[in-house]
Amino acid sequence: MTDQEIIELIDTTLVNEFELNIDDMVPGAALKEDLGLDSLDRVDMVIVLEKAFNFKLSEEETIRAIRTLGDIHNFVIRKKQEMQ
Amino acid sequence: MFLLVVLMNLFIYPVIILMTVLGIILFPVCFATGKIVTPWDNDRLMRYFVWAYGRAWMIIMAPFVRFKRMGLEKGTVDLPCIIVVNHLSFFDTYCMALLPVSDITFAVRSWPFKMLFWYRPFMRLASYLDLEAIGWEGTLKECRRLFSKKGAVLFFAEGHRSKDGQVKRFYSGPFKLAVETGVSVLPLCITGTDTLLPPHRWWMMPATVSLSALPPVYPGEFAGDGDMAHINLRKHVRSMIIKHVEQMRKA
Repeated sequence: MTDQEIIELIDTTLVNEFELNIDDMVPGAALKEDLGLDSLDRVDMVIVLEKAFNFKLSEEETIRAIRTLGDIHNFVIRKKQEMQ
Repeated sequence: MFLLVVLMNLFIYPVIILMTVLGIILFPVCFATGKIVTPWDNDRLMRYFVWAYGRAWMIIMAPFVRFKRMGLEKGTVDLPCIIVVNHLSFFDTYCMALLPVSDITFAVRSWPFKMLFWYRPFMRLASYLDLEAIGWEGTLKECRRLFSKKGAVLFFAEGHRSKDGQVKRFYSGPFKLAVETGVSVLPLCITGTDTLLPPHRWWMMPATVSLSALPPVYPGEFAGDGDMAHINLRKHVRSMIIKHVEQMRKA
């Protein structure tokens, strides 16, 4: 899976899960301020990303520091590289 | 009308505070008695007392608030189930005493555990779910336990009170839970509490509060949708609630 494919899968997954607009899915979009995702959404976000990429995220400390969509992209890409 | 509102607020708030203080003082005796006369576990017994507290609140409110329930006669709620309800007011939780079952576990965010310090020990004793603290794995595990004892878990699926009365976006948690456990979703619609006490106001107004149950939705109906099952279930339940809330308001 290329980095671009990972990014597309993340964006599609989040658009479906949270009924977001695909046009708003830019790396600089802040999860809370721009996409309207709050702390409870983060619980759901972890679940859908775990399912989409088949790895465990809930124990990760770094996931709590994520602020933007770009942070998620980088986090998942790095995680996938670690797994390989 | 102005005098009625003044009278209502001067009467209701002190009486609720008095009822709560008396309840806290009498609780150890009531709980000990409950342990003797019922076979229930501590959390099940506590949930009964919460439901009874809600009933007492309804009696206090009765001179100013008319309560109506539809599709919620005794024996109409199949347990276990996941109750999903729209959210308009702080008092919505109290109105759940209109339900014909008392074994209801509220699934809530962390703030009620932090802010409502006078209720906190009772919420803990009732095994209410702090969704943000226990995460998905913890929620799933605890709900499986509750369902095995034929209990209901209740979610305000919007996560917070609607400021304009419109039904907002639903969180996925209750629907993932339904798909994962196979337990049905009971959609509930509430109206009138936004007149009684909306989010932006601290004083109460007389109102008619209605609680209406819709037919249960079974997650098996969405089994063929794969990864989209919980999303489609969520959309279906939300659209049922939106449509019915509109009908209730028109009526």
